[in-house]
Amino acid sequence: MAAMTERISSVLARVPRGVYMALAVVLAAGFPLLNVIGVVETAWLRVGVMSLLFVMLALGLNIVMGETGLLNLGYIAFFAFGAYTTALLSSPKFELRWPFLAVVVVSTLIAMLAGFVIGLPTLRLRGDYLAIVTLAFGEIVRLTIINLQGFTNGPNGITGIYSPLLAGGSEVKTGLAAWLTVDKPIEYYYLVLVAVVVVSILLANLKNSRVGRAWNALREDELAAISSGITASRAKMLSVVLSAGIAGFAGSLYAYYSNVISPESFLFMQSVIVVCMVVLGGMGSIPGVVVGAIVLQALPQVIRQAAGAARSDFEVYRMLIFGVLIVVMVIFRPEGLLPDKLWRRESHEVDPRELEKTRQSLFDLEEGEKDLEV
Amino acid sequence: MDAILELQGVSMSFGGLKAVDNLSFTINENEIVSIIGPNGSGKTTTFNVISGLYEPDSGEILLKGESVAGLRPDAVHDKGISRTFQSLRLFSNMSVLDNVLVGMHSVTDSGVLASMLRLPKVRREEQAMRERAQEILEMFPGRFSGPRQQQPAFSLSYANRRRLEIARALASDPTLLMLDEPVAGMNPMESHEVMEQIKILRDKGYTIVMIEHDMHVVEGVSDRVIAMDHGVKIAEGTYHEVANDPQVVEAYLGKRAAEATA
Repeated sequence: MAAMTERISSVLARVPRGVYMALAVVLAAGFPLLNVIGVVETAWLRVGVMSLLFVMLALGLNIVMGETGLLNLGYIAFFAFGAYTTALLSSPKFELRWPFLAVVVVSTLIAMLAGFVIGLPTLRLRGDYLAIVTLAFGEIVRLTIINLQGFTNGPNGITGIYSPLLAGGSEVKTGLAAWLTVDKPIEYYYLVLVAVVVVSILLANLKNSRVGRAWNALREDELAAISSGITASRAKMLSVVLSAGIAGFAGSLYAYYSNVISPESFLFMQSVIVVCMVVLGGMGSIPGVVVGAIVLQALPQVIRQAAGAARSDFEVYRMLIFGVLIVVMVIFRPEGLLPDKLWRRESHEVDPRELEKTRQSLFDLEEGEKDLEV
Repeated sequence: MDAILELQGVSMSFGGLKAVDNLSFTINENEIVSIIGPNGSGKTTTFNVISGLYEPDSGEILLKGESVAGLRPDAVHDKGISRTFQSLRLFSNMSVLDNVLVGMHSVTDSGVLASMLRLPKVRREEQAMRERAQEILEMFPGRFSGPRQQQPAFSLSYANRRRLEIARALASDPTLLMLDEPVAGMNPMESHEVMEQIKILRDKGYTIVMIEHDMHVVEGVSDRVIAMDHGVKIAEGTYHEVANDPQVVEAYLGKRAAEATA
């Protein structure tokens, strides 16, 4: 039995990564078709949209947490910056209806600016202190939103956010303009899916680049990194600003999608959930983070469904289940579901099988180089 | 012979302790200089001051005539000084190859947007970096061959980790290479090999200053030796001049031994 699983996993490991990626994209793109042919309800499509939005959030947080090694417990604040910017620029609140692309870009930039402003004083801090300050930042942003009634309508939130027009500025609901208006769940699903795929490709490129390696170096050993020519303050700031920008982008799409936003969507718990997604999936691993986000966002819905519609008190137990899940993961698989190759080796002190394999391959090399010994 | 590095009256104290006291010396181009001295004599502090980890209380540090005193470590590295550490400081969870690639950070310039889009310019630079990293790793024949380059740095043997640190420091083609106890903890065979490699580096045109306790290595590679004690330079010259200097003997073996040799 063990030999069998070993064999299967070794066969699976030989399949090129690109195949898995393509498979994932095809699966994700095919999912709404199940709705079209009537196999799944539209409610599941909504679960899909939210899952994809959280995938994007988790990808953004992974830059700071997984790649650069900085803990951010107020991450959802950047999501809020993006969402509120979009809400203000495309709703009856100020009677504005900017073009979709302009709104998304401005929302992303505002979130990045927020990242820069919070980064300036906090990036000197390390570890626990950084976590505490970012946590406070997240709460300050939320409380400000609640109290800045003139701008944000306080606890009531902003309602009636217009649907995105992919082209043109008119509200005519006929012809091309109607076709290019995103307002059905399936359209949102594809819009967000395209955004997620683009963001993951860009981040995967970044991971294996000079910039990504600089972040990893800072995570591994800051002193050695700065002595190797990496300007720590700049590299960290870049990572915070970029991750904030991705959260802002996700926030903008979220505001469009949900039509209504209110401070309740940006609670501290949401930040914690995104942190859990990154940890559960595997810090520093893009496929892992994607899986982690989908599991944590969609699983509660699946469980709720399975438990029957009668158990509407499921929400109450949601956090409890989360907690148990995280504890179990940390004990049995601290590296996450789909870890980055190198992290896997760190989180288990000694994995006997792995160690034996490494030893064997090193031994083979030593043997081969005996003649090189002085 | 051009001076590569010049220290002029550099002092550094921690509270009441003068770790480095009015230290002056010169390292010339294409020369190997060893700094020796008993524990606590200020050798590593000197390295830390030169590489920017500490800012000197006073004095001047010139690299090719240009002041680098008080610059941040990354700026010092940009100017062309690269170093290794006494206690290994590799990027343990990164691959062997990536460790060397990080060492090239200051001599490459792909930015974040270009890297995200993987522009042709970035691809070319990445390709050039990998080729250069290959050359550097091949300076240690057989040590970092094939599959080993993809292994995480922490899986290497102790001696190979020390070699990798040297490789990382070489990656930026430094004007001055500073090695902090490059053979510490190695067996005689290994330290002999590293010694030969250091000589090869000098022959390739590198200028090297190293801290070392292994006197065989110091004798074997050094063009000049500087001896320190209590933060002060107590002797300078060829290995034999320094080894027979009464002050050096006293620093290592005590007053009576010094009188006996005198």
